[in-house]
Amino acid sequence: MAGLMATLALLPGCAFDLADVRYTPSAPLDPGDAGETFTLSADVRIDRAPCNYDRVLRAGTRWEYVGSLPEGRVFRSKDQSLTLECSNVFEAYPIVDQSRIVAFYLPVEKALVKLPEPVALAVQP
Amino acid sequence: MNRILRSVPLVLAVLILGACASGAKFSDTSPSLTPASGETGRIFFYRPSSLGAAIKPDVRLNDEVVGEAVAQGYFFVDRPPGEYKVTTSTEVERSLSLVLEKNQTRYVRLAVTMGFLVGHVTPTLVDAETALKELPKTKAVATK
Repeated sequence: MAGLMATLALLPGCAFDLADVRYTPSAPLDPGDAGETFTLSADVRIDRAPCNYDRVLRAGTRWEYVGSLPEGRVFRSKDQSLTLECSNVFEAYPIVDQSRIVAFYLPVEKALVKLPEPVALAVQP
Repeated sequence: MNRILRSVPLVLAVLILGACASGAKFSDTSPSLTPASGETGRIFFYRPSSLGAAIKPDVRLNDEVVGEAVAQGYFFVDRPPGEYKVTTSTEVERSLSLVLEKNQTRYVRLAVTMGFLVGHVTPTLVDAETALKELPKTKAVATK
């Protein structure tokens, strides 16, 4: 009984914040020239996002340029909401370099989450 | 003793049902999906599940309480464009960060997961397509 009480006393404070999205502060987003867009011609699966949470960018979604970072060009879509999720949830924009997603930009946190491997985009010509 | 045990399911049912949303059904009232003013954006909050109905944490938007996460309930608020953090607290705090633009509508689903002592309510951002399939089953909850 004493062991159970001790467990109950200790666990609630820490047991459920085991995983969180690890991000690093990004450079300021350079707005650059607006107007660039692309449309995905096929689903793009991202299976190595933080906490192994799969993400699929859907075919037919249109992505609009919002700015540049040293890591690449940042896009967002009105057709699809994209988030990174562990214990907490963050809206995320893909960072694209040479037609590959290399990282995510967290617009509220002004931060970066790098992907372990770039993911190729299939873009409509 | 048996009489007490027999009444447990009834008491539980009353507790659970009494904790669910009881306002007008979304599908009956069809609230506008767009903000009242073109200078603001609209955020819908909804909790489609009845799981853990007795747990109704406050929903905070940038530290301001805007409503309660009531089972099978929804509410919405209009806010100026900007960066927002949605938080809910039970035995732990869960958060969602999102950007709201002018004349944009965002949908925040309040998902219930099992916790150690009580359920957790986690805000997640969903597309209109998903939200508009789930919202018709929910009922209005007053904003704060």
